[in-house]
Amino acid sequence: MSDEQSLTYEDARDALIDIVRKLEAGGTTLEESLALWERGEQLAKQCQQLLDGARTRLEAAKPQE
Amino acid sequence: MPLESSAESPVAVRTVAKALTDWIGRLGRVWVEGQVTEVTRRPGQATGFLVLRDTAVEMSLRVSCKARLIDDLDPPLTEGSRVVVWGRPEYYAARGTLTFAAVDIRPVGIGALLARIEALRAVLAAEGLFAADRKKPLPFLPRQVGLITGRASAAEHDVVENAQRRWPGVSFQIEPVAVQGPYAVTEVIEALGRLDKDPEVDVIVIARGGGSMEDLLPFSDEALVRAVAAALTPVVSAIGHETDIPLLDHVADCRASTPTDAAKLVVPDHAEETERIRTAVLRARRCVTQLLDNEQNRLDTLKDRPALADPWGVLDGWASIVDELRQRAGRAAASGLTLRSGEITALTAQVTALSPQATLDRGYAVLQRTDSQVVRDASAVAVGEQLTARVATGTLHLVTEAVPT
Repeated sequence: MSDEQSLTYEDARDALIDIVRKLEAGGTTLEESLALWERGEQLAKQCQQLLDGARTRLEAAKPQE
Repeated sequence: MPLESSAESPVAVRTVAKALTDWIGRLGRVWVEGQVTEVTRRPGQATGFLVLRDTAVEMSLRVSCKARLIDDLDPPLTEGSRVVVWGRPEYYAARGTLTFAAVDIRPVGIGALLARIEALRAVLAAEGLFAADRKKPLPFLPRQVGLITGRASAAEHDVVENAQRRWPGVSFQIEPVAVQGPYAVTEVIEALGRLDKDPEVDVIVIARGGGSMEDLLPFSDEALVRAVAAALTPVVSAIGHETDIPLLDHVADCRASTPTDAAKLVVPDHAEETERIRTAVLRARRCVTQLLDNEQNRLDTLKDRPALADPWGVLDGWASIVDELRQRAGRAAASGLTLRSGEITALTAQVTALSPQATLDRGYAVLQRTDSQVVRDASAVAVGEQLTARVATGTLHLVTEAVPT
């Protein structure tokens, strides 16, 4: 899981794109679909967290006026 | 030929004096150019004196001449005048002094000076001293600014004041020097040497306010120009007004038209720089925000794709397949059932149709032998044979009493 956490935003996003493509293409077993979907959800969450983190840092760096 | 002497057998003063007179006399007459630093002309005395100084280094000659020579000069000699003197060095044995006995004194005219500066300019340019690729860039923000200028001069004030207004934290190292007259060149060169050696000094300004052509002569002096060319620290020249262009302007790494202009060149404008930084930060922030927004859009689009947005969709797909199969199975089972129940009905009807019951109901009976064979021929039955009679309701057991004969 620690490996998962250290994914860069780009890596996570590309993995997510890949998963969506696979899901949309079909041809997977139910079990595989569910696993893919779970992984996709997790990646999407991670991407969002990274984006939110970046935004927070940006806000924090804002000059105090 | 050295004089032979020892502590025990010294030579007489006159011997040395005569030898000096002899040796010095051999130099003969020469034309000498220099700058007058002192004029001694006492009324009533037939002889006048000058001190003639080299323009670049601290070396002087004491010149004596007929007082009339000095009096006849127009314009009159003053300190700082450039003159060419014709004469010979003389050792005055009676007093033990050395003077340059002049028989002619000519002031160096402005035209001649300008022509000489022009000639020097051509020589130095040919040497490449003014070449653009020799120019050192000025530092963006110097730790210290070396300033060579007249003591408490307007030029000093202009440079310091304007530089401080632009960049309040600017630090100066000021070298006050003579900016005109016979000592200007040496003092400027010495000050330049000191500042150039100081590692804290990142740029040197040589500043002087406007003045007459003669006043600005030191800044076209060859020794000074070469010293500036040799300096490792960038040098800014700020001499006189816009129209004054001494040779220093050509050799300096940067030419300021005035001392005020020099201040602008050596330090950045604090307010302007602050604004630039602010703009840069804003632009950077805008870029990052834009990037984040773009990525957010991409991510949102991905999350909105049915594959992710509607996870139930996947299950629904599978569930509907299951559902359909179940329905098909149900339908198949039902139709099988219908088919079979029809068969049963038909069979039942058939069975009913084929049954002898109706006949029995009408009062007939069926006789069967013990082996269930139906009795069709009475003669086939033996006396005493047991038979069964099936009637509409129930069965009777009979014994045969008689048979036809």
